Amino acid sequence: MKKHQKNRNVAIIGIGQTIMSSHKEDQNQVEMVQEAVINALQDANLSINDIDCIVHGNMELFEMQFAPNLWHSLGTGSRGKDEYRITTGGTTGMTLVCAADNLVASGLYDTVLAIGMEKLQEGNTTGGITNMADPLWFRNIQTGALTGTAATEMINEFGEERAKRAAIKYRIMMDKHAVLNPRAHRRFGLEYEQAEELAATSPQLVGELRLIHMCSQSDGACAMILTSEEKAKKRTHKPPVWIRDHMQTHREETIPNLFGHVKPELTHHYCARKLYERNGITNPVEYFDVFEMYDPSAWWALEWLREFFLLKGDEHINMLERGDFDLDGKIPINPSGGVIASNPIGATAMLRPAEAALQIRGDAGAHQIKKEVKHALASGFGGTYWTTLMILEKDLNWQEVDND
Amino acid sequence: MTEYYGATVVDIFDTMPKRFKPEEAKDVDILIGYEATGEGGGMWTAHIKHGTLTVSKVNELKGCKTTIHAHAETFLGVTLGKITAIDALTSQKLRVVGDIRFLMTLLPKVFVPFTVIPKKKVLKARDILVTMESLFRPERAEGVTMNVGYDLTGPDCCQWSLQIKDGKCKVREGFAEELTVKLTMNASVYTGMMTGTIDGASAFTSGQVKIEGDMMAAVATARYFHKYTDPDAKEAEELICLRVTNSIEQRFASGPVMGKWFAGLREKKFLGNKCPECSRTQIPPREICAICRIRVNEFVELGPKGTVTNYDIVYFASPDPLTGAVRDTPYAPIYIVLDGSSEREAFAFELKKEDISRINVGARVRPVWTENPVGSFKDVLYFELDQ
Repeated sequence: MKKHQKNRNVAIIGIGQTIMSSHKEDQNQVEMVQEAVINALQDANLSINDIDCIVHGNMELFEMQFAPNLWHSLGTGSRGKDEYRITTGGTTGMTLVCAADNLVASGLYDTVLAIGMEKLQEGNTTGGITNMADPLWFRNIQTGALTGTAATEMINEFGEERAKRAAIKYRIMMDKHAVLNPRAHRRFGLEYEQAEELAATSPQLVGELRLIHMCSQSDGACAMILTSEEKAKKRTHKPPVWIRDHMQTHREETIPNLFGHVKPELTHHYCARKLYERNGITNPVEYFDVFEMYDPSAWWALEWLREFFLLKGDEHINMLERGDFDLDGKIPINPSGGVIASNPIGATAMLRPAEAALQIRGDAGAHQIKKEVKHALASGFGGTYWTTLMILEKDLNWQEVDND
Repeated sequence: MTEYYGATVVDIFDTMPKRFKPEEAKDVDILIGYEATGEGGGMWTAHIKHGTLTVSKVNELKGCKTTIHAHAETFLGVTLGKITAIDALTSQKLRVVGDIRFLMTLLPKVFVPFTVIPKKKVLKARDILVTMESLFRPERAEGVTMNVGYDLTGPDCCQWSLQIKDGKCKVREGFAEELTVKLTMNASVYTGMMTGTIDGASAFTSGQVKIEGDMMAAVATARYFHKYTDPDAKEAEELICLRVTNSIEQRFASGPVMGKWFAGLREKKFLGNKCPECSRTQIPPREICAICRIRVNEFVELGPKGTVTNYDIVYFASPDPLTGAVRDTPYAPIYIVLDGSSEREAFAFELKKEDISRINVGARVRPVWTENPVGSFKDVLYFELDQ
């Protein structure tokens, strides 16, 4: 594999979020974006004058507003600054952080503000997603973001009872995490005693994908400030969180090819394999202290944990059953409550590294993991299966891997 | 009746007939049951039949096609949009037994949404009269002595007097002795005049107000008091949401490769293409093989029969991407490896509705074509089980 080395190290020094909710009628898009930006600036103890460049992103097809960054400039503070707009579907939020990382690492800018937002309430999410399908052929059979294939495959592989029990356990675990996060959109207060009833009676969406398993549609924004090692080390306000590496993986563009007679290697597995290889990480479950995963549904979440951690057989189900993914478990998954709890799509994938960084800082509040978090993993997911994966570190002490 | 969000469950059902849109329900025949639990709850049925609506309070929900169950508070919250329906459904605070689509599709179509009319306290003459002492302006009434009597008629009839003397004002019920002037009018005219919705001069001219005694004293009265303002009439801050519907017509060039595919459909043939390097087939055909990075020019006929590798049975009524209309559920997109295809190259299409209950992985299927294919995805109606 080709050598991959940063020109200079980059730190996350500011994190700002709005409260995620289904109803934000009291704010327009500009005001919502501004709330996240102000929170990030305050978190970093900076003013907008300290920002050299802004990267902005969301999904235009959801609000049907072209180049919303022009309108949002009132809230982003981009007037008179360099600004780039990036939109990559579901991964948008994390792609923004990757881009900001690259911009700072390159030396072009010292301090970059990344902003992801979505007001799903102002458009039609399923309609927007459907319009992303290949216009020549696939639009006629698109079902939006809903699919029950993961459920079907897991039921076939692990048996109906075990698979269903695992999916609902994952869902309730996410709710238990979300209840601790005051910014999460859906906080139901579900209990494990309800598992059986929920699994049996929640309305079916697609096959065994039921309403309870599926992520929300939320309004919200997230903003992050990244800066160079030199600048980060001069600051004492809050400890910096280091972006060690990130990778984006796409696949050949046809959904049906996921379902041939032979299953292809999923982008999640490919991306994780290559990223760990590049960074000399041989046992991700042992190495990482937390994983903030883009989990659009409980079924996908479970299936994907096996891919991201390069696990075999039913190891991931065993880990779930043992409580390894709980907040006080071996490797907690989504202390924030994840995408199942809050999903403002253009911000969703940014919330993953944002929440992972809060965990490393020890700054997450009620959903903070009790033991020390040194190494964090964050993932993004988009459309017809593409993956973004990022490694965050507390200390600047990792070993460079010589891949020559 | 217990109120939540400023309304009761009974209000929802009482206003149903008024909110019903018969022209939208011509082809509908359905009995919907509602159970609101907890304080302020109850059971109702709504029978919509060919443009008519019958709402009944019932003791049990019998014979309903769909029933909706929730605590009265959730019921009102969802109805008023204070609680997101999908969140209430997800957390099971709102439960639907039967076809969930009615909630999302039929009900919004046939009913005007329920709203709470802010209960504006109906202002009564008494409410105004009891404040008159505090509104008195002694500096303007120096040396004035007069007794004004109000004989207010109508449903809120009452008799009051204002006594002004020595720079003081006293308000009392009943008539004072020696009235300087007596005004007779409906109580609602009095409140209208005091709040500014009725012009006093016009009311007198039109005979709504009768004046007995010193007319000038009657006209002067207003001078001695501050203007009355209704404490409940403050206008609430209004948050306005703008509604927009976009409808866009589009044209997409298919290019020579997909052009061949559509031309094949006209002949009721699936024309895939085959990579000259790795020999894999692609369906629908693609311009290049993305793995070998090479142009793919050889076309091969695939299928038409194939084997099912996976499927989705969709119950959620997502919009039809081509029309925006709500799709009829359930429907099932299936993944098929057509005969002659490479093992990784699946094809997706919709399954015949009647076959949904019998579908399984490994099933054999065949396409069903329209009579006169024109070179469009509509040329294939669906795939059906090949038995």
